[in-house]
Amino acid sequence: MNSGVAIQRKRVIAGLISLGMMAMVLRSEGLRIELPLETEVFKPGPNADIANAQCLICHSTEYVTTQPPQARAFWKNSVLKMQDKYGAPIAADQVEALADYLVRNYGREPSTNSSVSRVSSAEPEPNKPAQPLDGARLAARFACQSCHQAKVRLIGPGFQQIAVKYASDTTAMEKIAQQITKGGSGKWGPIPMPPFASITSDEIKVLAEWILGQR
Amino acid sequence: MLFKRDSTRRRFLQDTGLLAGGLFTGAPDVSRGDDSVSMPFENGVRPLVRYPQKRPLIRLTTRPPQLETPFSVFNEGILTPNDAFFVRYHLSESPPLEVDADAFRVNLSGKLNRALSLGVAELKSDFETFEIVAVNQCSGNGRGLMKPRVGGGQMGNGAMGNARWRGVRLRDVLNRAGVSAGARQVTFNGLDKPAIEKTPDFVKALDIDHALDGEVMLAYAMNGEDLPMLNGYPLRLVVPGYFGTYWVKHVHEITVIDDVFKGYWMATGYRIPNTPGGCVEPGTTAKSTVPIGRYNIRSFITSLENGARVKAGMMTEARGIAFDGGHGISEVLFTSDGGRTWRAARLGDNLGKYSFREWSFSFAAPEIGATELRCRATNRIGESQPLDSLWNPAGYMRNVVESINIIAV
Repeated sequence: MNSGVAIQRKRVIAGLISLGMMAMVLRSEGLRIELPLETEVFKPGPNADIANAQCLICHSTEYVTTQPPQARAFWKNSVLKMQDKYGAPIAADQVEALADYLVRNYGREPSTNSSVSRVSSAEPEPNKPAQPLDGARLAARFACQSCHQAKVRLIGPGFQQIAVKYASDTTAMEKIAQQITKGGSGKWGPIPMPPFASITSDEIKVLAEWILGQR
Repeated sequence: MLFKRDSTRRRFLQDTGLLAGGLFTGAPDVSRGDDSVSMPFENGVRPLVRYPQKRPLIRLTTRPPQLETPFSVFNEGILTPNDAFFVRYHLSESPPLEVDADAFRVNLSGKLNRALSLGVAELKSDFETFEIVAVNQCSGNGRGLMKPRVGGGQMGNGAMGNARWRGVRLRDVLNRAGVSAGARQVTFNGLDKPAIEKTPDFVKALDIDHALDGEVMLAYAMNGEDLPMLNGYPLRLVVPGYFGTYWVKHVHEITVIDDVFKGYWMATGYRIPNTPGGCVEPGTTAKSTVPIGRYNIRSFITSLENGARVKAGMMTEARGIAFDGGHGISEVLFTSDGGRTWRAARLGDNLGKYSFREWSFSFAAPEIGATELRCRATNRIGESQPLDSLWNPAGYMRNVVESINIIAV
């Protein structure tokens, strides 16, 4: 069926065909469904990574994309509400960047590059000395922990589960790099991982090594 | 302006018209985006998507799912079919993807003489069956039509439905457990869960007197069938006359408390200005707020869509629905001349004071050109619908007199 309806009584009928009458006797009453897959991520652009990493923890893109055109204050208030009322793990320095991204892509104000504040993995802020790359710090910056815990499955698999799965895979680094930059779905569960397109190749290497070391 | 709105609605008609042929005969794979509708407001294009146990519905959001009923459904009959009934969830981990009806329990605890844990089978066998026809309407039904626009779920008027609910009175279940003296409220939690721990779980509360009024019920069936998963299988709260936010789906925890519940979804969410009509001056905020409560009165034309073409000079039947928060509809007035003259419509069968009430009126279509149709309901305590929209910051409780334009050709 189109959206993968799996209603128990239909399974019963299928069971009857394949297994005979016993199938119906053995089955308990109940209902199981499959929902259409979630496939959308946010429009690409500066700080889309933050929107994909943060907003998609709790809801699909339409919570943003179906809003009427609104000014920046609306989007900033929405970001603060998600942070304050709904516990979104949005870092303090991501609030303005996320508000910029949302108003630029889904709001009513025209884009003005001068007012865009950018939290970029590629460009360290000018006044701060560049820090050596560190997997744990990178994971925090890209809010990986929103979906991945150390050991247990949350929305995505735990880091340990990933490390174990790829332990003897010689192409593990490439696969993880691909997953991070392009996103994906279907390997671990129904909720897709958004792409993190702006992460640099150096950062991916450090992050992937760090993940594979979490066994 | 009018022309623009008309053309949008015509597109809507065309789109839904195209769809109608495919409703029951293997609808196209709408998840590919083959079918969409344009709601009559900016940024209102929505896909029609088929969900489990549902015909293609207007999808507002994918996770959690929010699906709106195409408005033409309300002209199919006074009860809204289960497969067309709207869907609204709040938390990422919803609906549950599987429920074992034998293992499912609703647990009652708190200020009770004894805790109870009941399965659906026990509710069916150990308690008197109770049935009621009642409208379930989302607090934000019609939010997309608000002017000025407000944030939130951008729906047309299809986030409502009318069903015959079957189950047991909450009063009977609470009395079986024995409510302690000093009980003030009852809270309700369903199986749906947030993605992260810090997000407040969706828990709602009713005052104890309300919970014991003999109408609030635990329903296991609607319109003669088990609840669809997306409408709360296997058990949901039904709160006749109250906005859908209280109708907790997959309800499995019922707790009697001796305080006023302070959870997010009561203390912060779903609140309206503490003013008559729950409204404020458009664009302003409320000084104080209260939890949203009963429906205000509404009515709709269902037999004709905006932009419909009728035969010039011919008698034409307009038909529709009206409902309120439980006083009951006493009159529906209809105008076919843009509000200059209003005549009383004929009311249909009365399925109870919480149900949609059908109305109809035959009018002569003009010789040629456009004409504006409106309907306006009044309830048994004299409440009616405003001619100009009321407004509040959350976009709740829209109940303005709606109008459509038809064209005689």
